Amino acid sequence: MKHFTTLAAAAVIACSGVAAAAESLYVPNLSYRTGPFASTGIPLMNGQRDYMEMLNARDGGIGGVKIDFEECETGYSTEKGVECYEKTKGEAIVTQPWSTGITLQVLPKTNVDEIPILAPGYGFSPMADGKTFQWAFNAPSGYWDGADMIVQYLESQGSLEGKKIAFLHLDHPYGKEPLPILEALAEQKGFELLPIPVGLKEMQNQSAQWLQIRRERPDNVVMWGWGAMNAGAITEAVKTKYPMENFIGVWWSGQDADLRLVGEDGAGYKSISWSFPDNDAPVMAAIKEHVVDTGKSLSNESEMGGVFYQRGIVMSMVLAEGIRTAQEEYGTPMINASQLRWGLENLDITEERLAELGMTGMVAPFSTSCADHTGHSGGWMLQWNGSSFEKVSDHLSPDVASYADLAASKASEYAEANAPWAVNESCDSAS
Amino acid sequence: MLYRTAGQFKTSYKADQALFPIRQDAVLLAIILTFAWVIFPMTASEFAFQTLLIPILIYSLAAMGLNILTGYAGQLSLGTAAFMGVGAYACYKLIEVMDPILAILLSGVFSAGIGVIFGIPSLRIKGFYLAIATLAAQFFLVWLFEKWAWLYNYNASGAIQVPNLQTFGVYVTGPQASSVTQYYVILGIVTLMTVLCINLTRGTLGRTWKATRDMDIAAELIGINLMRSKLTAFAISSYLVGVAGALFVFMWRGAAEPNLFDIPLSFDILFIAIIGGLGSILGNYLGAILIVGLPVVLNTVPEALGLEIKSATVEHYNIMIVGALIVFFLIIEPHGLARLWALIREKLIIWPFPH
Repeated sequence: MKHFTTLAAAAVIACSGVAAAAESLYVPNLSYRTGPFASTGIPLMNGQRDYMEMLNARDGGIGGVKIDFEECETGYSTEKGVECYEKTKGEAIVTQPWSTGITLQVLPKTNVDEIPILAPGYGFSPMADGKTFQWAFNAPSGYWDGADMIVQYLESQGSLEGKKIAFLHLDHPYGKEPLPILEALAEQKGFELLPIPVGLKEMQNQSAQWLQIRRERPDNVVMWGWGAMNAGAITEAVKTKYPMENFIGVWWSGQDADLRLVGEDGAGYKSISWSFPDNDAPVMAAIKEHVVDTGKSLSNESEMGGVFYQRGIVMSMVLAEGIRTAQEEYGTPMINASQLRWGLENLDITEERLAELGMTGMVAPFSTSCADHTGHSGGWMLQWNGSSFEKVSDHLSPDVASYADLAASKASEYAEANAPWAVNESCDSAS
Repeated sequence: MLYRTAGQFKTSYKADQALFPIRQDAVLLAIILTFAWVIFPMTASEFAFQTLLIPILIYSLAAMGLNILTGYAGQLSLGTAAFMGVGAYACYKLIEVMDPILAILLSGVFSAGIGVIFGIPSLRIKGFYLAIATLAAQFFLVWLFEKWAWLYNYNASGAIQVPNLQTFGVYVTGPQASSVTQYYVILGIVTLMTVLCINLTRGTLGRTWKATRDMDIAAELIGINLMRSKLTAFAISSYLVGVAGALFVFMWRGAAEPNLFDIPLSFDILFIAIIGGLGSILGNYLGAILIVGLPVVLNTVPEALGLEIKSATVEHYNIMIVGALIVFFLIIEPHGLARLWALIREKLIIWPFPH
């Protein structure tokens, strides 16, 4: 009985502790540190978390309010994702769903629950249409932007007329996402597109797909891979002696750990990216001082130098800037979900602002608006030199206008299928 | 004590064969039904609806379907998730022309048809070999959901999205529908199916299935048509599973990709049926509470106690605890939770004089 009383007392104290700390902004993240995709998840989650921890330690949060950055573990499972969304949505000012499956599921709910959904660099590309998807944001760049930039880069290396490009992709909504853009570009530029799907069960053993690549001899292979599929494809490419410099991945296929497996043999492999790791950036020094040296970080040095950890930092920066913008507009540090929506809609990440944040060169400047929820920052082509990724192109900007019509028609199709769907009518004049 | 049967006399065969020969069982069921129909819907939060009440009911229904086939008729199946998928995709096509609730009930007919086709090998092969044949259904159907674009209306992402649909002016599916409405629709359907299943398994058909399960040669010798017995089991089981699949996507998930219906889901449902107890209706509910409900509850424990544990760590503990509990329950009662309850009840009836 005595034990029980002590426990109960401890519980009461703990609960009151939670109540006292209520002066904070609750920013949950649906993390995936467990499960089949954990190897990609951990560095991203660590980066996101460490940036927020750094703001809390250095500046006392944002606008004087601490950020309660809490993770809810999903293991990349859609079921757990919905559980986490339901658990966090009461207090949360934003939801970060992470997996494409969870995004698909949560997207219609956020429109009813009126919570901003932040999917930096992933999710449904037509989410860029801020009029239709008023609660969804996928800044700084979407998959269609990525596909367009890859083709631009290839074109800068020589005309694509008559060339053959294999599109190795995960047979899943995520992998199919850029297909409409690639098909349109193939027709326009005169190259032959060869889609090669990789089933979820074949991710680790792609010998059939690479046999097909060997037989077809494409001039380039473009990959939309995720998790174990990346390492599978890269090792298979090395094994079949596919020329690495003709192999280009999307930003989720550019993780250091996947390429470290093959080391020198992978030299030449490229990946498009809207973020770039810079170990000498002031923001990294600040994180080292306030988070790593105080023992609060879950990361380690080799991970912190990688593309994914620092991409996590950029993602948290986007969210933090959204919060700051909203706080300034509404004159209160304790913003709510709809105020944050305004903040994310009016992001203006200029070169000067990036310098202030100590993140020059880690992401390209971009701005969002009522009608444009992506910002289309563009990015760079990164190349693996055998031990790390380096920039091999100038800043590439996607030709957004060329697929604006497609985005608008897909967005209205979505809204129609989900009728009644609340759209933001006030955007018309702004766009 | 609680289960004292003194004074409950049966004066006719009919009374002795009643569904509840002991009054306390009926009272207990009435209490549970009151909770399910009145108290839970009035008190549950959105979180409880979406992560506990609704999924437990849907998983119970799917396990009940599997239990008819595996527990009652003795035909091992590993294709449950694929049949759920058939129900879900059939429902997706049917809602274009009819009322959503009617579509959900009808979608089971399609999975029943597919179930019978994949049940035909059961006439020649048994046991583990049949499990392999149903595994073929599992792989083939998931492949079909991916490749046959007509099924998902040529949607570029290959996923199906549930639209907002109304029945009698109330939203029942899609994000506009309230959880209480969805809960009542599911509860209504699950209650109806449970009553049907209890009656079926106690009647001629159920006895035929049990005879087939216990020894098919003997069953054939006493004049049971094995083909009819096995195929009806496949049809009815797949119907229930199909309805569960339609509910799964339309009343709960809201969107589905083909790989949702892959083998892990089949295993989940098989585990619910085995841990709950094969050859029992109650067991499906107990199994679903343990496998679906318990992890959700465990996840909230550290927070409720105010312990500072990282979410990922909680998840790891959770997997370990649930795994250990499954092993624990199977050691103390290999025939599942339903048998455990039966034993407890038996002991309560003769208490305080055990023999």
